[in-house]
Amino acid sequence: MPVVLYRVDERLIHGQVVVGWGHELRPDRYIVVDDAIAESEWEQELYALGAPQGEVGFVSVADARDRLDAWATEAARTVLLTRDIASMRSLLDGRSAGVAVNLGGVHAGSDRTHALEYLYLTERDRMDLRELERQGAVVTARNLPDAQQVPLDTILAP
Amino acid sequence: MLFRSLLIQGAWNYGTMLGPGFAFTLLPVLRRVHAEDPAALASSIERHAEHFNAHPYLASVALGAVARMESDGADNETVRRFKTALRGPLGGLGDTLVWATWLPLVAVGALVLYWFGVPGWVATLTFVVVYNVGHLGLRAWGLRLGLEAGRDVGTRLTEADLGGWARRLQHLLVLGLGVLSGTILGAPDGLGSFGPVVAGLAVVGFVAGLVGGHRAWRPAAAVMVVVIALIGAWGILS
Repeated sequence: MPVVLYRVDERLIHGQVVVGWGHELRPDRYIVVDDAIAESEWEQELYALGAPQGEVGFVSVADARDRLDAWATEAARTVLLTRDIASMRSLLDGRSAGVAVNLGGVHAGSDRTHALEYLYLTERDRMDLRELERQGAVVTARNLPDAQQVPLDTILAP
Repeated sequence: MLFRSLLIQGAWNYGTMLGPGFAFTLLPVLRRVHAEDPAALASSIERHAEHFNAHPYLASVALGAVARMESDGADNETVRRFKTALRGPLGGLGDTLVWATWLPLVAVGALVLYWFGVPGWVATLTFVVVYNVGHLGLRAWGLRLGLEAGRDVGTRLTEADLGGWARRLQHLLVLGLGVLSGTILGAPDGLGSFGPVVAGLAVVGFVAGLVGGHRAWRPAAAVMVVVIALIGAWGILS
């Protein structure tokens, strides 16, 4: 299982991921899966600043879907990051079975409502998460490895 | 802007974090850019007061760059994406450089001074002054870097190698910790006559941790604790 973490985190490559999860999982590379950033060099340069050590890649959702199988069989340990739930849903659509999806942080916004201290969701997000779960993914929220893991039912409870 | 940036945490909250402080610091620039159009000014203040988080000192890099971009007439979407991309790295670099390195380094330095016999108030004052020279220097440097580079500040930050500086300062910190442990253990009201031996061991232990990194760190620390415990026990028994 060399994709060691599937994480939704608006901040992408940042302290909690690189220090918190990085120490726990010892990844060899971070891959940001995002259509807009995959086409924007100056943004890539900024995000790459967050991971001074280790390889960083930026790919579109479609490219990532083509490469998922390769990443899964390579020896290199990969952390896959998306900044929103919609991208994670598209990435895993039809191939979610048994995948553990980690929700790490999506902050307040005008159309988002409070789910956890670090998680604010739209109606669409909630539907996408349910769908991932229905397809066999195990969706939980946990901002740091030593924090409590919150199951999807608790997250979506009104 | 530098003076305003000192208040960037003034309206900190879990929802928008540094957002309101960011807008407040940027206000003179926004007023100038939108001098003719109060409605545009109001909406730009609102936009910049939205959620933003980074290290409070290194946020000055983002402030400078956004000031430059706003002055150059960058569109709102680019500015928003810029802030989103920059906040994580600034937070990470700032935490490493300031909270995990500079603050403990200056604190350890002040403690070493104290244990070398400098009066307490002098050591405290030294801490406050040295810490803030670094603090204000970092804010001013960041603001200037941002103003100069605008959207392309990423390249300049990579060149500045703040992570490398953090590592170098951490080496100093480890050395300081070694000296401090040695000094405390060797002081007359510390472990007395074992002073030089213990001081030497402490320095060796810390240097081993430093050179060997994480792999050597835990064994070295464990050996140190055992040695100090043995010496302590010996001291109590005799």
